[in-house]
Amino acid sequence: MVISEDARARIAAEIEKYPVPRGALLPALHIVQAELGHVSPETAVEIAELFGIRPVEVMEVVSFYNMYFATPQPKHHVYVCTNLPCTLRGARVLYKQLKAHLGVDEHGNTPDGRIHLGHEECLGACAYAPMMRIDDRYCEDLDLEQAKHALSELE
Amino acid sequence: MLKVPYVTGYLTEHFADDEFATLEGYERKGGYRAAREAITGMSPADVIELVKTAGLQGRGGAGFSAGLKWSFMPTDTDKPKYLVCNADESEPGSFKDRILLERGAHQLLEGILIAAWATGAEKTFVYIRGEYAQPARVLQRCIDEAYAKGYLGANVMKTGFRHDVVVTRGAGAYICGEETGLLESLEGKKGQPRKKPPFPAEYGAFGMPTTVNNVETFSHVPHIVAKGADWFRGFGTEKSPGTTIFGVSGHVERPGLYELPLGTRLDEIIFEYAGGVPNGRKLKGVIPGGMSMPILPAGQIDVPMANESLRERKTMLGTGGIMVMDETTCMVRTACVITYFFRDESCGQCTQCREGTGWLNKIVNRIERGAGLPEDLEILVDIAGKMEGQTICAFADAAAWPVQGLMRHFRSDFEAHVQHKKCPFPESFEL
Amino acid sequence: MPKFTVDGRPVEAAEGRTILQALDDAGLLMNGVSVPHYCWHPKLSIDGSCRLCQVEVEGIPKLQIACNTVVREGMVVRTETERVKQAREGVMELLLVNHPLDCPICDQAGECKLQDYAFEYGAVGSRSREPRRALKKNVDLGPTIVFDQERCILCRRCVRFCDEIPGTRELAVVNRGDHSVIETFPGVPLENDYSMNVADICPVGALTTRDFRFKIRVWFLADVPGVCTGCAKGCNVHLGVANNKVYRYVPRRNDAVNDTWICDTGRMSYARVGGVGRLRQCFVRGELGVPEAVDFDQALRVAAERLARLRDAKGAGVIAGIASPHATNEDLFVLKRFLRALGTENSGMAVVRGDSDAILVEAEKAPNAAGARALGFPAATGVIDRIAGGGIDGLVVLGHDLIHEQFLGGVDALARLDTVIVLDPHASALEHVAHVAFPTRLAAEKYGTLTNAAGRVQRVEPAVEPRWDARSEGEVLFALGAALGLEGFDGRYDARDISSALASQVPAFAGCSWDEVGGGGAPLTENPA
Repeated sequence: MVISEDARARIAAEIEKYPVPRGALLPALHIVQAELGHVSPETAVEIAELFGIRPVEVMEVVSFYNMYFATPQPKHHVYVCTNLPCTLRGARVLYKQLKAHLGVDEHGNTPDGRIHLGHEECLGACAYAPMMRIDDRYCEDLDLEQAKHALSELE
Repeated sequence: MLKVPYVTGYLTEHFADDEFATLEGYERKGGYRAAREAITGMSPADVIELVKTAGLQGRGGAGFSAGLKWSFMPTDTDKPKYLVCNADESEPGSFKDRILLERGAHQLLEGILIAAWATGAEKTFVYIRGEYAQPARVLQRCIDEAYAKGYLGANVMKTGFRHDVVVTRGAGAYICGEETGLLESLEGKKGQPRKKPPFPAEYGAFGMPTTVNNVETFSHVPHIVAKGADWFRGFGTEKSPGTTIFGVSGHVERPGLYELPLGTRLDEIIFEYAGGVPNGRKLKGVIPGGMSMPILPAGQIDVPMANESLRERKTMLGTGGIMVMDETTCMVRTACVITYFFRDESCGQCTQCREGTGWLNKIVNRIERGAGLPEDLEILVDIAGKMEGQTICAFADAAAWPVQGLMRHFRSDFEAHVQHKKCPFPESFEL
Repeated sequence: MPKFTVDGRPVEAAEGRTILQALDDAGLLMNGVSVPHYCWHPKLSIDGSCRLCQVEVEGIPKLQIACNTVVREGMVVRTETERVKQAREGVMELLLVNHPLDCPICDQAGECKLQDYAFEYGAVGSRSREPRRALKKNVDLGPTIVFDQERCILCRRCVRFCDEIPGTRELAVVNRGDHSVIETFPGVPLENDYSMNVADICPVGALTTRDFRFKIRVWFLADVPGVCTGCAKGCNVHLGVANNKVYRYVPRRNDAVNDTWICDTGRMSYARVGGVGRLRQCFVRGELGVPEAVDFDQALRVAAERLARLRDAKGAGVIAGIASPHATNEDLFVLKRFLRALGTENSGMAVVRGDSDAILVEAEKAPNAAGARALGFPAATGVIDRIAGGGIDGLVVLGHDLIHEQFLGGVDALARLDTVIVLDPHASALEHVAHVAFPTRLAAEKYGTLTNAAGRVQRVEPAVEPRWDARSEGEVLFALGAALGLEGFDGRYDARDISSALASQVPAFAGCSWDEVGGGGAPLTENPA
């Protein structure tokens, strides 16, 4: 078993909230990913069993949404918003600078594999641009120094 | 850093007070009285009539009458009925629902309660975009407070009315802000919008009668119940009453949120409230309602921000996300940013959308890097026209409109790229 | 029953049917009324994503998809207006932005709905200068199907099929937007007994069968209507024939039998129409017990002599006839008359049984067991018992189901019989005990009718011609009856005449002659099955 008892219990609690169990699939994927980092085929099989669906249906959901991953991931996900309002205020310049600063490869991963740097679409922080999302929090009103500082605090 | 609105109104006037985001603080400012009044003193039909009369338009982008939407819910059914609060806010340029969640969650919950009473819904699913992890935490805390106080659950305010609220986090897909795409995602599937008919009031969440409303729409409701339809109509225009929270971004002195009556003029918002264009530059264009809405050139921003006026200028209010662009901005590069977004976010069902968003993006990129041909401009307009009005949902329209708007008002930028084979705006943002 | 009009033509619809369904019900769809479509299929759920079927509905400003618009009384539908033409052109152009120009190497060419509709409804030439997306062109979805991701137009018929018909749901569309692609889960390939249907329903050459891939261009194939003979379902097929050879079966729509489907096993049974495993020559057993190849007339003479001698010596009651559930109603009708004219009541029919499912597959693994029963042939157990008890000395046996392990389990029980006459398309162990053997024709090599498990009489016609002297069972028995001087066996044998005689003489088959049943078949008036 890849999914822990604790995660299973939390998934069961989510299922209770929905009239149809499958309503808890997205919450379950968040729970599983928080624990395992990504949804492997093995994981998908276990999730499919929990919901009485087929593994391929789990993978089609995983592949549709930006926040779910089917392959192993670095510990930290950092995304600079590069949509229009942020771009108007220098987001793409910052993004390029951070790429160079972290020395990421063509997949956006740092050499030590700890951080993935990418870009995202509008995160709802248009007045606080440029900004980035680090895992589940926002760092806004950035200049290069502040951005570097925020990144340096990641373990 | 979440700033409170530069200009507040009845929705946001207490947002600077941290206590307002707690149940006690909210009640101290009069919160939950309207809900109690509605549930104990008004019939569901009366509440619907009140909201209809007030003329509250949906604030999620479509502008559909909220009261009318509530009236579509069946009154004589055994099926469980649901509300959905659309907190998927992903329209580029929009960030108003975020502050309503982080600083006004109880106001939202009160609006939900009143709507639940009006429609007979037993449960509300708040579908909040996955990236809004912090607002989701705040919202859940407020929901827990409400349950603890007995304002949610089996016996709301000891009235015998029952209502539950569940927070469901999305996972990063703009299309889940489309009503039926949201419902599919809520049901644990890909967020691919449904064919209509049937509409959600007939077949909604989990196949049950459902009403979907935006965060801001719900947030107006307690005020309408507390102070009445006439009071609400005292703000805004006759066709578009009330306030809304405009989000101003881009090339302005004071990017931020501004709660103002609908009908406030766009140039007033930009120059009087938001401080105008910095660095002594001239304004070039403004997208008035979130990135799906066609751009207006500088000469056309003397327009009241309300649907009835904006439509005359071939654009719309949308979510009130005002993106300001100064004279350094290359509109072809803007088109690249915009078309990339729609290509990335298309769910992929409909031929026109899936292939059209891709093709538009490819052509615009090619024009930008200097390999465009004169006929490409006609093709852009033609493809956009062939995407409009022919798909399962309005995403293809939303993808087509910006291209149409840019070609309508800034064709010369595109022609310059084609003619000179490079960008003629050296100071423009880079891609 | 709402009445509506399409381009001025009045059509009546059943309650709740959509425009496309109503047109299909009336036999008008793409047959008088053109509403091109990809994602809609008459036997699958409504999808609504291809957008090609948009039509004008009076009173509604936007074009409506005909596949999802329920017909209302008085609805006025127009399919040939300028707006509709523009919309179709738009869809076709957008599909061709990424679809690869594979026609010269694509199996679908000649039966491709992208080619057909682009030609009919698309604009001339392409305006796209952009590179197409580059995906995998040769994916093994499973043992039977090859998938070209680039050709896929994402109509999702295959995904819906696997979900709704076999219920196995192996396929899914992953990613979104123009990165959408159809995939299986690792380790769970497309593998079920209906997998090859996805190649039929795929409008383009994205899904092809490994079996047919690169074999022959479809425009060389003649499509001969016929029936699958793998089991008692009688799925309607088209035999794809060229060079006197069957290259494939594709299902032929029959809403009363198989809808638009066929199981993989049945589909692949086309390979049995040919020379492999066939009995190719008449033979007689010489005095030393060794079979000698002879021509038809010689075999006939020996068979008639042996039967006549046996009948004269011991009476016709020691002779029995076994009907083949693979032979046609006409063949078996002649057998019945032959046995009666010979003077024996001993008859039976053995049919091998196997697995069945809830979709198409029947347990009886032959196409005409019900026909045999309707003609009055009882189960073979009676004859088998009498053979064991020594009461049978002569046997005229059609086919070889009789020696299957479910029945005799071999030929030993027949070894002591005085006269065994075998009529069979296929070679089998019966040849070890046959005194005379006649090679006969398969259903695809003759005119005739077959009765399926539900009592539906369906017709077959010759699609290929054996390259050796094979005759239908009916023709052989007719000649044998004439050689024996039996009454009613004079004249020329014609299967279709026999069919008419059958329909007029046997009440259950009234109205079921070859001519009367037409392409879709007709039910027996009573089905003893």
